[in-house]
Amino acid sequence: MKKRGRGVASMWYGIGNTGLPNPAAAFIEVLSDTSVNLMVGCADIGQGSTTAMAQIAAEELGLDYEDIHVTSADTMVTPEGGATSASRQTLISGNATKLAARQAKGTLAEVASGFLNVPEEDLIFRNREIYSCKDNSVRMTYKELMAEMKKHGRLAVGAGAYNPKTTYLDPQTMAGIPYEVYSYATTIAEVEVDTETGEVEVLKVVSAHDVGRSINDVMVEGQIEGGVVMGEGFAVFEKVEYSNGVIKNPIFSKYLIPTAMDAPDIYSVVVECEGECGAYGAKGVGEPALIPSIPAIAAAVEDAIGVHFTSLPITPTDVLRELDKQKER
Amino acid sequence: MSDRDFTVIGQSVIRKEALSKVLGEAKFAADYKFDGMLYGGVFRSTVPHAAIKRFDASKALALPGVACVLTAKDIPGKNKTGIIIKDEPCLVDDKVRRVGDAIALVAADTPERVHEALDLMEIEYDLLEPIFTIERALEEDSPKIHGTTNIHAKKHLECGDVDAAFAKCDVIVENTYSTQMLSHMFIEPDAGVATYKDKIITVYASTQNPHYDRSDVAGVLGLPSNRVRIVQVTTGGGFGGKLDISVQCHIALLAYHIGKPVKMVRSRTESTIVSAKRHPMTMRAKTGATKDGKIQAVEVFMTGDTGAYASYGPAVITRAVVHCMGPYEVPNVRVDAVFVYTNNPMSGAMRGFGVPQAAYCHEGQMNAIAKELKMDPIELRLLNAHRIGTTIATGQVLTDSVGFKETLLAAAAKAKEVM
Repeated sequence: MKKRGRGVASMWYGIGNTGLPNPAAAFIEVLSDTSVNLMVGCADIGQGSTTAMAQIAAEELGLDYEDIHVTSADTMVTPEGGATSASRQTLISGNATKLAARQAKGTLAEVASGFLNVPEEDLIFRNREIYSCKDNSVRMTYKELMAEMKKHGRLAVGAGAYNPKTTYLDPQTMAGIPYEVYSYATTIAEVEVDTETGEVEVLKVVSAHDVGRSINDVMVEGQIEGGVVMGEGFAVFEKVEYSNGVIKNPIFSKYLIPTAMDAPDIYSVVVECEGECGAYGAKGVGEPALIPSIPAIAAAVEDAIGVHFTSLPITPTDVLRELDKQKER
Repeated sequence: MSDRDFTVIGQSVIRKEALSKVLGEAKFAADYKFDGMLYGGVFRSTVPHAAIKRFDASKALALPGVACVLTAKDIPGKNKTGIIIKDEPCLVDDKVRRVGDAIALVAADTPERVHEALDLMEIEYDLLEPIFTIERALEEDSPKIHGTTNIHAKKHLECGDVDAAFAKCDVIVENTYSTQMLSHMFIEPDAGVATYKDKIITVYASTQNPHYDRSDVAGVLGLPSNRVRIVQVTTGGGFGGKLDISVQCHIALLAYHIGKPVKMVRSRTESTIVSAKRHPMTMRAKTGATKDGKIQAVEVFMTGDTGAYASYGPAVITRAVVHCMGPYEVPNVRVDAVFVYTNNPMSGAMRGFGVPQAAYCHEGQMNAIAKELKMDPIELRLLNAHRIGTTIATGQVLTDSVGFKETLLAAAAKAKEVM
């Protein structure tokens, strides 16, 4: 017989290292043809930080995404980025990038202010133009601004560094500020348990994530989808088998991870929640994407067959053992 | 202009590297080639805990095409690496602490020759008692893997009056949760190429942590940091498994000694055996609520096996302790945690740093409380959810961007629509 169940689970996740300084920095230069070199320490390992940093720089400078070229994670070119871990790069390198762009923009604003005869604080940089917020007919193009910069011998460069506001934790009680900001998420999973074979099939997963601000919706959804599938592996497939210190299943044919055939229908929901800490309010989603799917799947299995599993993964053997116990009762 | 009126933020622009990856032009570390490049390999321990009685590489060195064999004594700088605690040797000097410890390096003209040379190396061990369980690790008479204790880290978090709070609870749920060791199984195994030119060591590597890599490579070679260049090349996934040093120090050391570029690409098996794993953890949890559904107290005792070296163990234990009551207003919390060294595979960073394990525990408890109280699990969460102004167990007051309730409502609404 096949039994369906549904389960809910949530999580919170502090962004950045726990109760420790963990800064990152960025360098930027707007070139005379309005193209931009952005140098960030942040390593892009496929999660898309290089793209996100380019988006942040473009927004701050009022240029296009295509104008920004990013060099990342080259220790003789880029400043310290810290680790690509702890879901920290969008918050920390993102803020560093924004600060670097803002510094370059300061010089640009000085020159534009003189040319347009508009106070710097009234200038808006947007869509490759600079104009007054009071009268948007008073405007100049970025090309004109860079020509003006050249005339005055000014260079649009910037450096930014950001360290999240945390405190060291008390060694006795762990009191303190472990993280500047937290991401939140809730996942609802639907599974089908085959009571003959013990197999758990994950059918549908809804996962809603408070990311503060989504820099790039498709990339956020990609993280959530990847996280859900990894969570499925955690909950019902994967386990490193080892004895006497030796790993017995170090290869893909023996260590089974979910494939496309196993992936459930995934419904990602991106929740935005206003905040001051991140660049444009962005927090992090890399690890949160994984976390709530694991307990949600376990809860769905419990809903289906009435067993509160307290050990992972929930394998067909475990399911059949528990169903046998139920029969005995 | 409103603050929300963005031109680029929120746009699903095409990733910068999309085209090069789709066209197969992106260069991963294993794709890098240099003139005169040699290949490197590592001779690794096959026992979990032992002193090295004899190591003989003379047959390997006699093999035509073998450029050098290096051991701990060839390290010009410090033979210590590690992101938080420098407890892992670049090459074993005092003793072997796990299966897969690096004992010697070889560089040769072809990858096949590297394997041939590794097969010709001879070793004899004085075996030590290996420790495979947390219980044995904690016993007084157990052999010590590092220093004078096998306790890698111990944490205690406390707020409120936990015992008094439990006494007032209408429902208390107790469970012990355990989670398994996991492997990241990133698609691209660890790889890198090192060059030594004009007194600069350059390492092209698959890594999540180039600036940390720089400090450990500089430390091992005894060079100032500005003579070490780490270039992170296109990296095929990490999930935390490429935060520790992998090939970087080994290829840098080989290139430094022979003055030629050296490439090292781990096989899947070598990569899985050597890179850090997810900490297997056990969490004994007690959660109490009053009948109105308010969580009053949480008590957790957790243990974790960090294996032979610390890696990110200190970060995992701290994060797990801070997060293990979940995103709920819990006025009374007591958490104790112990992580130990064993001779098992090394555990370290893996997507979530102990929070996936902790979430399995706190969410199992929340759902159990909901069942006891016959409450809807989403209602129970909404009732206890973090909000602006919540004081968490460390005493921090949440003041910025707390969107937990919104995720509960959004998930429930979407589930209603699609399930």
